Amino acid sequence: MSHLLAWIVAAPAIAAAVLLVLPASARLPIRVVSLIGAVVACAGSVLVALTYDRVAGGMQMPDDWALVPSLGIHLKLAVDGWGVALLLLTGVIIVTGVLASWGVEKRGKEFFLLLLVLVSGVFGVFVSQDLFVFFLFYEIAVLPMYLLIGIWGASHDVPKRGPFGFAWKRFAVGGKEYAAMKLTLMLLVGSAAILVAMFLLWKEAGGTSFDLAHLEQTKFSLATQNWAFPLLWLGFGTLAGVFPFHTWSPDGHASAPTAVSMLHAGVLMKLGAFGVMRVGMVLCPDAAANWAWLVGGVAVINVLYGALCAASQTDLKYIIAYSSVSHMGIVMLGAATLTTTGWNGAVYQMFAHGIMTGLFFALVGLVYERAHTRAIAKMGGFGHVMPAVACFFTLACLSSLGLPGTAGFVAEFLVFLGAAEGAHSWWAVPAVIGAVVTAVYVLRACKTIFWGPPPTGEFAHLTDARSTEWAAPIVLGAALILFGFWPRFLLDFIDVASHTFLARIAPFS
Amino acid sequence: MSSLQSWAALAVLVPLAAALLCVVLPPLRRAGKPAAALCILASLVATAASIYLLTQHEAGAVTRTEVPWIVLGGKALASIGVNVDGVSVVMLLVVCVVALCVQVFSLAYMHDETPSSYGRYFTLHALFLFSMNTLVVAPNLLQLFAGWELVGLTSYLLIGFWFHKPSAARASVKAFWMTKLADMGFVFALLALFVATRGFDWNARLSTETATLVTALLFLAVVGKSAQFPLHVWLPDAMEGPTPVSALLHAATMVAAGVFLIVRADPLFAQAPATCEVMLWVGSITALFAACLALVQSDIKKVLAYSTCSQLGYMVAALGAGSAFAGFFHLGTHAFFKALLFLGAGSVIHAVHSNELADMGGLRRKMPVTTLTFGIGALSLAGVPGLAGFFSKDFVLAQLEGKAGWIPWTMLMATSFLTAFYMGRVLIKAFGGAESAKAHHAHESGGAMLLPLVVLAVPALAAGFLGGVLAEWSGAEYHVHLGLTPVVASCLAIAGLLGAVMVFGRGRAAPFAGVLESLDRASAVDRTWSGLYRHVLLGVSAVAGFVDRYFVDGLINAVGYTTIESGARVRRLQTGRIHDYAMAVVVGALLIALWGVLR
Repeated sequence: MSHLLAWIVAAPAIAAAVLLVLPASARLPIRVVSLIGAVVACAGSVLVALTYDRVAGGMQMPDDWALVPSLGIHLKLAVDGWGVALLLLTGVIIVTGVLASWGVEKRGKEFFLLLLVLVSGVFGVFVSQDLFVFFLFYEIAVLPMYLLIGIWGASHDVPKRGPFGFAWKRFAVGGKEYAAMKLTLMLLVGSAAILVAMFLLWKEAGGTSFDLAHLEQTKFSLATQNWAFPLLWLGFGTLAGVFPFHTWSPDGHASAPTAVSMLHAGVLMKLGAFGVMRVGMVLCPDAAANWAWLVGGVAVINVLYGALCAASQTDLKYIIAYSSVSHMGIVMLGAATLTTTGWNGAVYQMFAHGIMTGLFFALVGLVYERAHTRAIAKMGGFGHVMPAVACFFTLACLSSLGLPGTAGFVAEFLVFLGAAEGAHSWWAVPAVIGAVVTAVYVLRACKTIFWGPPPTGEFAHLTDARSTEWAAPIVLGAALILFGFWPRFLLDFIDVASHTFLARIAPFS
Repeated sequence: MSSLQSWAALAVLVPLAAALLCVVLPPLRRAGKPAAALCILASLVATAASIYLLTQHEAGAVTRTEVPWIVLGGKALASIGVNVDGVSVVMLLVVCVVALCVQVFSLAYMHDETPSSYGRYFTLHALFLFSMNTLVVAPNLLQLFAGWELVGLTSYLLIGFWFHKPSAARASVKAFWMTKLADMGFVFALLALFVATRGFDWNARLSTETATLVTALLFLAVVGKSAQFPLHVWLPDAMEGPTPVSALLHAATMVAAGVFLIVRADPLFAQAPATCEVMLWVGSITALFAACLALVQSDIKKVLAYSTCSQLGYMVAALGAGSAFAGFFHLGTHAFFKALLFLGAGSVIHAVHSNELADMGGLRRKMPVTTLTFGIGALSLAGVPGLAGFFSKDFVLAQLEGKAGWIPWTMLMATSFLTAFYMGRVLIKAFGGAESAKAHHAHESGGAMLLPLVVLAVPALAAGFLGGVLAEWSGAEYHVHLGLTPVVASCLAIAGLLGAVMVFGRGRAAPFAGVLESLDRASAVDRTWSGLYRHVLLGVSAVAGFVDRYFVDGLINAVGYTTIESGARVRRLQTGRIHDYAMAVVVGALLIALWGVLR
C-alpha cells in the first residue's frame, strides 16, 4: 500500500476535520467518526509491523514531499524498527483511549477533535525523517494538552506550605487550569531549547537541509555537540519527565481526564525519550558519550526518587503519575548505558510502560467515575463489587513491578543488564531497588482499594466495567501478557534499529 | 526435541492451558466445578507425564532443548526451554503428585465457597503448577527466576484468597514484599553472572570472587523464599491462606524452591566455599530457632509453619555442608510428609472449625483415618527410625559430622529432639486426651479428603528407602551406615516423643513456655522489619514526597510567581498617558546628549 505512513498520520486528522462539520448534538456520530479515525491509524500501524522487513532493517516505506525547498524542509516519512514499536503503541492507546472516553459529555465534539489532532502529531513524530517536521509534529502533539486539561480536567486542593508558599498568592496550585498552564509552559521552555539546538545543528550541517539522514552524515564539531546535546536532552527530557523538570507530570496527569492521561503518560512522555535518543544521541554521538554520566545519574534519581514520591502519595492518580516518572527513568537509564542491551530495553520500556500506564489510567478513570474519589484511604473492598477491574489493576501492578511474564519484566531486565555491562555498573543497584519500592506502593494501593471487607454505604453499589469500558482493560492487559511471554514480537524490530543507531556511538563510548 | 523433553514440556504447558482457559472464559471459571475438573485434569496429565518421564529417564543423563527468547544482534541473549536430568525429573514428580493430592483434597475442603471463587481457586492452582514446573525444568537461571517470581505471585494471590479478611490481605502483601526484597539478590546474581559469562548457565566456571558474589546473592533470594532467618517472618503469617494452599505452597513445594535453586546451581556453589559456610550457619540457626517457636504455638498451622522453617533449615545446612544430594533428599521426603501433615490439619480444621489446638482433643475416636495418617506424618517428621523422615534427616546429619567443630551438628541434633517433642505435643493435644466441646460434634472427613491423606501416607512411610535409587539418578553417593549419628538421632527422636507424653500427656505446659511465648510475641525480628518499613521506607518516602511538592515544584512555582510579579511591576511603566511618554523621550534624549558630550 502506497503512502501507508502518511495515511496513518492523516487518518486521525481527517477524522478531526470531519468532526468539525458535524453538529455538536450528534453524539454517536462524533464518537463513531473518532473511533474510525483511531482504528484506521491503528490498523495501519499493525500493517506496518506486518510488512516491515526485519532482516533488512533500516528506514522503510519512504515518502517525500518538499514543503519549503529553499530551507530544505521536506515532509519526509519513513519508519525504522523503533518506529514500528511506537506506532503500534500509539495505535493501541488511541483506540482504547477513544473507547474509554465514550462517556465524555461535556463538549464532546471538541474533546474528540483535540484528542485526534494530538494523536496525529504523535504518529507524525514517530515517522518523520526531517527534523523540522519532527519538531512541528512534536508541537502539534504537545499543545492540545493545554485545552484538554484546562477544560476537561479535575481540580483539587494542595495545601499551602513550604518556603515557596508565596506562589499560592498568584495561582491555585492543584487546580486544573494551573496544571494545564504549568504543563504547557514547562514543555514550551523545553521546546525552545530544542529549537535552539535544532538550528545549531542545521547551520553547521550547511544550512541546506533538515533531513535527519543528512544530519546523521554530518560530523558535528565537539563544541557544537556539547552545546546541542544538553539542550536536546533537557528539551525533550522535560517531556520524558527528567528530574527536576518532571513536576508538570504528577499535577498534569492527576488533573487530566482519563483518555488524556492515558495518551499523555502512555505515549507523549515517550516522545520525549524518543527525541533524546533519536535526535540527541544519534546526531550528537560524541556528546552523548561525554554526557552519559549525567544522563544516567539523573535517570537513576528519577527511578528511585519517583518511586519514593509515589510511595508517599494518597491520591490514586498521583501514585500512577509518579510511577510514570520512575518508569521513564528506566527508559532514560537504558538510553544512557549506550549499549544495545540497554537501548533495546529503553525502547521496550517505552512500549511496556505505555501499555501499562494506559491500563492504569483507564482503570483509575473507571474507579473515579463510579466512586467520585481518588483518595485511596476512602476506598476498600472494591474487589467485591468490581472484580474484573481488580484483576486488571493487579495485572498492571505486576507489570509495573517487573514481574516475569509481563512486558515490564523484559524491559526492565534488559535495562538492568545494559546498565550492568555498561561503563557505570553501579546504576543497576538503585534501579533494582527502585523496582522493589515499586512493589511496595503498587501492591499497597492494590490492597487498600480492592481488598478488605465488602464496601458499605455509598460504595456498596459500584459496578464493574461496562460495554466500551471493557476495551482498554482487555486489549491492554492482553498486550502486557503477550509481549511479556514472547518479547520477540517487538524486540526483533527494536533490535535492528538499535544496532544501526548505536553503531554511530559505539566507537566513542 | 526428543520425546522425553516433549513430556516435560507437556507437564509445564497443560496446566498453563487450563489456567488460560479459565481466565479467558469467565463463564467456565464462574461455574466453579467445571473449572475445578479442568484444572485437576491438567494436573493429572502433568502427573502422568512426570511418571512417564521418571520411568524413561536414564540415570545420569542430561538433555535439554532451548528456544531463543530474547535475540539481540542475531545472538540469543536468553532462551527458554526444558532441561531433563535426575534432579528435575524427581522434583517434577514430587511437585505434580503433591499438587494433585492437594487439589483433590481441595475439592471437598473448599466446597463452601461460591462457584466463582471456587473456580478462581482452582485457576490459581493451575497457574501455580505451571509456574512451579517452569521453575523445575528450567534449563538456565533466567527461566528459573521467571518461575521463581511466578510462584511468588501465585503464593501472593492464594494467601490472599480470602481477600475480605484484612489479616489475609496484610499477610499476602507481606509475603510478596519480603520475598521481593530478597529477590533483589537473584536479580543482582543474574546481572553479575551475565557480566562475567554473557549467559545464565549454572555450569559456568567463575573466579572465586565472582562465584562467591553470585552465590551469596543467590543465597539472599533463598533466605527469602525458603523462609530462613531473618527473613522467615512472612511464612507463619502466610497461614492465613486456605490450608491446602499452605500444604502445597508453604510447606511442600514453593518454599522448597530455594533449596531446589541451590541444588540446581550446585556447580556454582561448589566454587564458593565462603557462601557454603554462611549457609551452614544460617540453616542451623533457622532450624533450632524455628523449632523453639514451634513448641509454643497454639495454632496447629503455625506449629507446622515453624516446623517447615526448621526443616528447610536442615536442608540449607546440608547444602552448606556441601552435600546437594542430602538437601535434595530431605526436600523430597519433607514434601510428602509435610503436605500430609498440613492436609491432615486441614481435615481436622474442617471438622472442628478452628485452628486452635485448645479446641481440639480426643479426635482419635471421631477421625480414625485422619489420626492414623497424621500420626504417620508426625512420626516421620519426628524422625522415628524406619520412616521416610528418619532416613533423609539422618543423611543430612551425617553430612554435618565434624563440620565447623561439630556445632551445627549439635544444633541440629537438639532440633531433632525438639521436633519430636513439638510433634508429640500436637498429636497429644489434637488427637489424645478427652474430647473438647468442638470435637464432640466433629466427624471424619469425606473420601475426597481422605484419599489424598492415604496416598501421601505411603511415601511418608516408605520414601526413605528410595534414597539409593535417587542418589543413582542424581549421580550422588548415598550409604546407610550404622554409626554415631543415626543412633543418637533415633534416641533423641524417641526421647522427644516420650518427653512429650510425659509433659503434655499430663496436661502441663512446655518448659520455658513463658520465655518462648514472650519471644514469639515480641518477635524482635518481625518488629524490626515492620519498623524498617514503617519508619525508614515510609519515612524517607514522605520526605521525598514533601520535597518534591514544596521544594522542587515549589521552585518552579516560584519562577512562575516571579515572572508574573515582575510583569506586574514592569507594567506600571506603561501608563498610557501621553505626557509620561513625552517626558521619557525628553529625558532619554538628554541622557544620550550628555553621553555624547562626555565622550
